Amino acid sequence: MVPPARTRNEEAAFGTGPDQEAFSLWPRHRLPGLTRRELLIAGMAISSVPLWGHFPAQAAEPMAFSEIAPGVYVHTGRHELQSADNRGDMSNAGFIVGDDAVAVIDTLGSAQIGADMRAAIKSITDKPIRYVINTHMHPDHVFGNVAFRDDKPEFVAHHKMARGLSARAETYLNNTKSALGEAAFAGTEIVLPTLEVQDKLTLDLGGRELVLEAQPAAHTDNDLIVTDAKTGTMFLGDLLFSEHIPTLDGSLRGWLTVIDKLESSPPARVVPGHGPASMEIPAALADEKRYWQTVAGDVRKLIAEGKTLSDATKTAGQSERGKWEMFDQYHVRNVTAAFAELEWE
Amino acid sequence: MLSKIASCFTVRRIAGVVTALMLAMPVAAIASDDDDPWPDLQKSVFGDRQIVEGDGVVTIEAPERAEDPAVVPITISVPATVQGPLRSMALIIDKNPAPIAAKFEFGPAAGSGGERRMTTRVRVDTYTFIRAIVETEDGKLHMAKAFVKASGGCSAPAPKDADGANADIGKMMVRSYEPEQAQTALRDGLVMIKHPNNSGLQIDQVSRGYVPAWFIRDIEVKRGDDLIFNADLGISISTNPNLRFTYVNDPDGNNAVQVTAIDSARTTFTGASANRALAN
Ligand SMILES: [Zn+2]
Repeated sequence: MVPPARTRNEEAAFGTGPDQEAFSLWPRHRLPGLTRRELLIAGMAISSVPLWGHFPAQAAEPMAFSEIAPGVYVHTGRHELQSADNRGDMSNAGFIVGDDAVAVIDTLGSAQIGADMRAAIKSITDKPIRYVINTHMHPDHVFGNVAFRDDKPEFVAHHKMARGLSARAETYLNNTKSALGEAAFAGTEIVLPTLEVQDKLTLDLGGRELVLEAQPAAHTDNDLIVTDAKTGTMFLGDLLFSEHIPTLDGSLRGWLTVIDKLESSPPARVVPGHGPASMEIPAALADEKRYWQTVAGDVRKLIAEGKTLSDATKTAGQSERGKWEMFDQYHVRNVTAAFAELEWE
Repeated sequence: MLSKIASCFTVRRIAGVVTALMLAMPVAAIASDDDDPWPDLQKSVFGDRQIVEGDGVVTIEAPERAEDPAVVPITISVPATVQGPLRSMALIIDKNPAPIAAKFEFGPAAGSGGERRMTTRVRVDTYTFIRAIVETEDGKLHMAKAFVKASGGCSAPAPKDADGANADIGKMMVRSYEPEQAQTALRDGLVMIKHPNNSGLQIDQVSRGYVPAWFIRDIEVKRGDDLIFNADLGISISTNPNLRFTYVNDPDGNNAVQVTAIDSARTTFTGASANRALAN
C-alpha cells in the first residue's frame, strides 16, 4: 500500500524502511470513519517505493484495502497527478466478494499498479475474479485492466465508454507514458469492455447482486454507478470527489442533476472516485455540489454580463480556492468546460 | 493581401478533403523541421514583405499555460490610437500541424477607429508562439506574439459529451451587445456555431483511422449590407467556433448582425442577431 499523501522524504523522516510495519504512520485523515479493524485489514502496508530506488514491478507488501462493509473492499489513491512515484495510484478502486465470485470496480492507473491490486485481492480471497467493472473511461480508473486479463473476466462498462476511451486512447497512453516514465508504464495497454451496460444491468456474484446503472453525461459521458444491493454500498466513481477538486469532462448540468437524484434516494454509503474510502449522503455530496453550483452561478452571471471565456477563467469560482486539493491543476479547465457548455443556454 | 491559405494538417496524413488545400499551401510552410518554424512560415505567407513587431499597433492576449489545449482563448486588439481601417489580420500558431488558424479581411462596418478587438478559441498542439499580424490601411504589416504552453490540442477529441455535441450541428447563436454609451464608436458582436470542427488528427475508434477533417472554413459577418469581416478558418479553431468582435455602432440605426458560414463539406449555415442585444 502506498500511504496516500506521504512523500519519500517524509518516510525518511519517519524512519520507516521497507522491512518495517508502517500502519501506525498512516495518514488517518485520509481514512475517516474507519474502525481499527478496517485499518488492520488494510494490511501491514509500507511504501511500494523503497528508499533506495524504484522497483516498478511490484510492491513489497500487498496494497492496502479497507473493508468498508462486509465483503466490500476499497483502496484509496493519492491526490496527485500521475508520476513515476505513484505509478498511477491516484484514485479509488475496490472489489466485492460474493459466494461464488469477485467483482473488481476500477483498476487504477497502470498495468503494474493493477497487478499490485490483483495481488492484494488474491491475498484476501481465492474466489475467481469474474467481473472487472470500470466506472468511466479515465486512465486512473482503467489502465490497470490489463493486469486482470488472465482471469478472463467480463470487462463491464457504460455502453459509451469504449467510444470515449478509444477516441482518447493515443492521448491517454502518450500522456501516461511520459508522466509515469518507461519503467512504471511498462505493460500498460488499453483493455476495452466486453460487456456493455445500456441502461441497467444486474450481476450475480453468488448470493450477492450488483446493480449497474448507466448515467447520462455528467463527470464524463460514460459514468456508471455500481450498487451492492446486499449492503447498500454505492460506488460512484468520479461522480463523487471529496478533498480532491472535481473535474469536468462531460456535462455540468448533467452532473448537478445526478447529484440531485442521489440526494433524493441516498444509499447506506457511497464510495467516491477520489477521497475517503466510504462516505454518507448528504454530507458526501455537499462540497462537490457547492463547488459546481458556485462555478455554474458565476459563469452564468459572466455570460449574462457579456464577458468572455478568458474573463471567466480569471474570476469564476475563485471563492472555492483553498477548499480543495489540486485546485490549481484543474479549476481553470473546469471553468473553461463549464463556460463552453453554459454559453449555449 | 495575405495569400489565401488555411487549415491544420500534417504531411504524413493527407486526406482527400485537404489535398486541394495542400496544393495551395507553399511548400516551405510544411517542410521545415527547424526548431523555429517562423522564418519559413513568414516567407511562405508574407513573402519578402517587412513585418514590424512590437510597434503598438496590435497586441495579443493568450494564457501562459493552456489548461485545456483544445480550447485556448485568444484576443487580438488594435488600440484606439491606431487610426484608419484595417485591411486584414492573420492568426498563426507556429508549431501547430497547420499553423494558420485564421485569416480575416475587414469591411467598412469593422470601423476605422476605436479599440478594435477579435476574440476566438483555438487548439494548441505544443509549446509555441501564437502570432497576430495586422495589415493596416497603408499596406504595412504589424505583429504581436505570445508564448503558450500546451500539449495535444489538435488531436484531443474535443466533444466532452459526444452525443450532446453532435445533436444540433449548424445551430448558430449570434449576438449584438448594447454598448454602455449609445454614442460609442464600436460595439461588440458574437458568433457561435455548433460544429465539431474535426481537425483530421483525431482517431476514429471504429476504423482506427483518422476522423476526416470537417470544419467551418469560411465565414462572412455583415451589418445590414456592410461587411464587418470575412474569415478563412482552419482546423486550429476549436470545436464550436466562437468569434467575438467589435464593429461600427450605429446609435440610432440597425445594428443587427448577419452571418453566413460554410464548412469544408460545403454546407452553408446562416444566422442573425436580434436588433437589440439580449444582454449588455
Ligand atoms: Zn475521472
